Amino acid sequence: MRDRHGSASLIGSLRPWLRLLDRRRGRLLAGAALLGLTLASAIGLLALSGWFITATGLTGLLLAAGVAASLDVYVPGGGIRFFAVSRTVSRYLERLYNHDTVLRLLADLRARLFGVLAELDGHALSRRRASDWLNRLTADIDTLDSLYLRLLAPAGVGLLAILALAGFLAIWAPTVGLVSGAWLLAGWCWLTLGQARLGMAASRRQVDDLEALRARLVEQLQGLAELEAYGSLAAHRRQLEEVEARLYRDQRRLGARVALGNALAALFVGLGALLALWLAAQAFGAGRLSGPLMVMMPLAMLAMSEALASLPAAFTWLGATRGAAERLNALEARARTPMAAEAPEAAPPSRQSTALSASLSSVSLRYPGALTPALAEVSFTLAPGERVALCGASGAGKSSVAALLLRQLVPEGGEVLLDGQPLAAWPEAALRERVAALTQRIDLFDDSLAANLRLAAPEADDEALWQALAWVELEAWAMSLPSGLATRVGEGGRRLSGGQARRLALARLWLRDPGLVLLDEPFAGLDAGTVSRLAPRLDAWLAGRSVIFLVHQLDGGPFDPPGVQRRLTLVEGRLERYTC
Amino acid sequence: MSPAEKGGAGRAPRRWLAHRARGERRRLGLAVLAGLLAGIATLGQLALLAWAVSRLVVDRAPLAEAMPALAGMALLLVLRSLAQHAQETLGQAASLRIRRAVRGELLDHLARLGPVRLASRHSASLASQLVEQVEALDGYFARFRPQLLLSVLNPLAVLLLVLWLDWLAALFLLLAAPLIPLFMALVGMGAERLNRDQFAAVARLSGHFIDRVRGITTLQLFGRTAAATGEVHAAADDYRRRSMRTLRVAFLSSAVLEFFSAVAIAVVAIYVGFGLLGYITYGPSPELTLFSGLLVLLLAPEFFQPLRTLSQHYHDRAAALGATEGLLGLLEETPDPVRVEAAPAAAPGALVELEAACVSHPGRGRVLGPLSLRLVPGEVLVVTGPSGAGKSTLLQLLAGFAGPGEGERRVADGLTLAWMDQRPLLVQGTLADNLRLAAPEACPERMRRALLRAGLGELLLQLPDELETPLGERGVGLSGGQAQRLALARVFLSRAPLVLLDEPTASLDAESEARVVEALAELAREGRTLVIATHHPALMALATRHLALDAGQTGEGNDA
Repeated sequence: MRDRHGSASLIGSLRPWLRLLDRRRGRLLAGAALLGLTLASAIGLLALSGWFITATGLTGLLLAAGVAASLDVYVPGGGIRFFAVSRTVSRYLERLYNHDTVLRLLADLRARLFGVLAELDGHALSRRRASDWLNRLTADIDTLDSLYLRLLAPAGVGLLAILALAGFLAIWAPTVGLVSGAWLLAGWCWLTLGQARLGMAASRRQVDDLEALRARLVEQLQGLAELEAYGSLAAHRRQLEEVEARLYRDQRRLGARVALGNALAALFVGLGALLALWLAAQAFGAGRLSGPLMVMMPLAMLAMSEALASLPAAFTWLGATRGAAERLNALEARARTPMAAEAPEAAPPSRQSTALSASLSSVSLRYPGALTPALAEVSFTLAPGERVALCGASGAGKSSVAALLLRQLVPEGGEVLLDGQPLAAWPEAALRERVAALTQRIDLFDDSLAANLRLAAPEADDEALWQALAWVELEAWAMSLPSGLATRVGEGGRRLSGGQARRLALARLWLRDPGLVLLDEPFAGLDAGTVSRLAPRLDAWLAGRSVIFLVHQLDGGPFDPPGVQRRLTLVEGRLERYTC
Repeated sequence: MSPAEKGGAGRAPRRWLAHRARGERRRLGLAVLAGLLAGIATLGQLALLAWAVSRLVVDRAPLAEAMPALAGMALLLVLRSLAQHAQETLGQAASLRIRRAVRGELLDHLARLGPVRLASRHSASLASQLVEQVEALDGYFARFRPQLLLSVLNPLAVLLLVLWLDWLAALFLLLAAPLIPLFMALVGMGAERLNRDQFAAVARLSGHFIDRVRGITTLQLFGRTAAATGEVHAAADDYRRRSMRTLRVAFLSSAVLEFFSAVAIAVVAIYVGFGLLGYITYGPSPELTLFSGLLVLLLAPEFFQPLRTLSQHYHDRAAALGATEGLLGLLEETPDPVRVEAAPAAAPGALVELEAACVSHPGRGRVLGPLSLRLVPGEVLVVTGPSGAGKSTLLQLLAGFAGPGEGERRVADGLTLAWMDQRPLLVQGTLADNLRLAAPEACPERMRRALLRAGLGELLLQLPDELETPLGERGVGLSGGQAQRLALARVFLSRAPLVLLDEPTASLDAESEARVVEALAELAREGRTLVIATHHPALMALATRHLALDAGQTGEGNDA
């Protein structure tokens, strides 16, 4: 088996997720018991029917020959009716119950992964904002979600059914029970372990190949202009087709192996029935077994196909589950490297509403894979209450400075101090309370206006929220909405205009009481009239706080940051001495 | 609600799927044949089993006499497995070929639509469509479609055999037969609604999850991640409670099928048993033997099995219908007629000629023109104007990405061009791969020179494997300015006489900008024809001719 990821073993990769499943052990066992009951009913129905027909047939012959014979038809008849009903009922309950379980597991998985993502630092998040990554993440979660219902439960129940059937048959004919049990056990091993091994490498590669195909497609669609102009569309298309061919080669291979597994499953069951018939016939011939019991045995074996039929497809694709587990494990490992040192803070940072000082001393920062550092030897100090404008072209390092001060990134070298304390020593809650940022991108959540505002101040009452809205001149608009504060803003705030979203973000800022504020183009996208009314209010609110304005060098925009005492300019990650 | 959500999927997707299946008629037909063969082998195998049992139990024949029957069973078992294998692989081969063809056609169609039309769509979601929606067709062609026919043919074969054995037992099955289409519809409706509801709910739930993940930085900054984690769990749990309500009904349809399959066995068993005891004297019952009785019993579950398999594949159909709707939406968009026909030849001495050319975009009206223009070799045309004046549109028109709705565009025979805009293409691969886009045959020496001229000499020195250094997600990351200069290196590398540049210095810092301007001046000295859309003074200084656009009108300020 090719192990190009060179990572943990199969069990090692799945262990954290198995442990997560274990938290719902009771439900999983109950679900498996229902599965088992369904299977037992199916086997019982066919086996008992076979026994019944043979017994009646033989009795009928005796009666016809004039021999006085009798057969109790009511008990087996009742048994047959019972199994017919129990098979239907247990199947229905099993599907319902197990789907409920799977959905509960999905909730557990989602919450766990979200907790993991919340621990990621800026490096990881900035590279992973693309929506296709998110799709892949949710797809991985869904894949892992099937661990129980597609893999563990059918395999476990199948194994138990084999043992139980072998034991049951052994009561009447020990040889039949032992041999056919061993035969089915061998089949079970092949259909699970063997098939998993056969499909492992190819099914593990599937997601990567799909991603490669997606990447080539994005290239072709995004770069269509250049590709067409240079006449290299056909050449690029060939590369894309190579990726597709690789993907489909694996799919064909996997499909052939699943088909092989399905064919073998049918063969195992059929030959098992044949074997049982042959052995039982010998016992019958030797007078150790009655006719009806002899017929019951191959029929019971035939019914085992219900237990084995779903295994090959699920286990041939085990590699996909493994791949998903590995990717999520890697994410967890990444999140576990702590962003902030959890050392006990030397002295509790000031919690009063005072302006905070901040300083960077020869700070450097490099993004993974980048050739040039994002920041090189950057040093500056912000006195309490001071207002500084940080200028630079896009990519010059402004957002990196902001991310450092917000502790979303940890510098490679140098030190960041906040209020005289190393930033790493600040407790998370205090840091989030005292430092606020208005970023260029406004994140609004698919929730109510009130919930979006309360992100900033969970305890705020409606009165405070209305005041905040009034401060950004959204009060009248919000009042005009039929649902008022309960109005939902849509996915990513899509139901609001860009200007409304920006003002909502400003209102969120106002609800807080930070000592250091980072403002990235606070009035971007607002019309000049609104800016001229809001700017003085912002100016007043900023009094008594330390402020860093991030200013794009090339387009100054309609807003001139008020009260700026100093301008610093970043060029390719270095601070220039002159001003912009 | 889309039409598909109301009354099941519309007819167009069904027709399209059927049409696609016709293209692979041979393979899918063979798959059905193989499935039928597997079904008949099963019948033969069960018949031999019943016969052997009857010989052994009723006739008290020695085991040796039953051996030929057992051997025949083994043979039929192997045959059945082979046929089953063939059915699956043939279905899969058909599905692979269809998917490959569909993706190819979609790519052709998108290429015909051209970069201008695609610009209005999000390329990542378009790529997702080409990956996921095409892959979603798999189960329909590979499994559902062959099984659809088999779910009629195989039960029919069973019924005929049972009819020959005992017409009363066949009547039991036949009574269920008219119900089968009803159940298929029931199962179908159940599965389809389940799938639709489930799909919508899953999409909503994923939307919620993605919404929170997308804003995770904000949640971190507000210190609200713990609360949000709780919310994620609560949303998923709420989804569970709501979807269980629909599942309770939806699973009933499969329970009905299960019930009939189980009851058929029970009814047949009891009928046969009482018949054998001589309790039933009606019709064919007195003639029942252990052989015929046992065989009828064994055949009863086989009668329902194909239908049960079909119901398992029903979600494949729903997924394919959903995907088809998305794909048809793409295919419906008709390309600009100019993109499909060849442009007429320009007069000798001109590279491109525009005559009273206008460009209109749907919903935006006329965005450029009428404009007449004649580009001759060696000139540098600088196009200026406020944003929205149609600068980019003019370049697209010259390049042939968007045709003139009115007027005419004529090009010199065999004209090639170089293109550079604000979003340069970076492909997964090495630096050399990225350069070869413009000149597949270029030697390393030429590539190095092109990089040097584009101001990337320093970068080349830093790279560990020089031209063979991988770029992009899995390799070295380039800054925006570096990517821009890489696109410029491609321009140098290509020998195209006409170079179209859309804001080549936007988002560059002052230093990179100066280098790019110098490099473009050199291109002009080489005698290439440049058309530059810009508002940058240093670039304007390169102009031999100047075209000022004003809100799509030709405020031609010719100063050549």
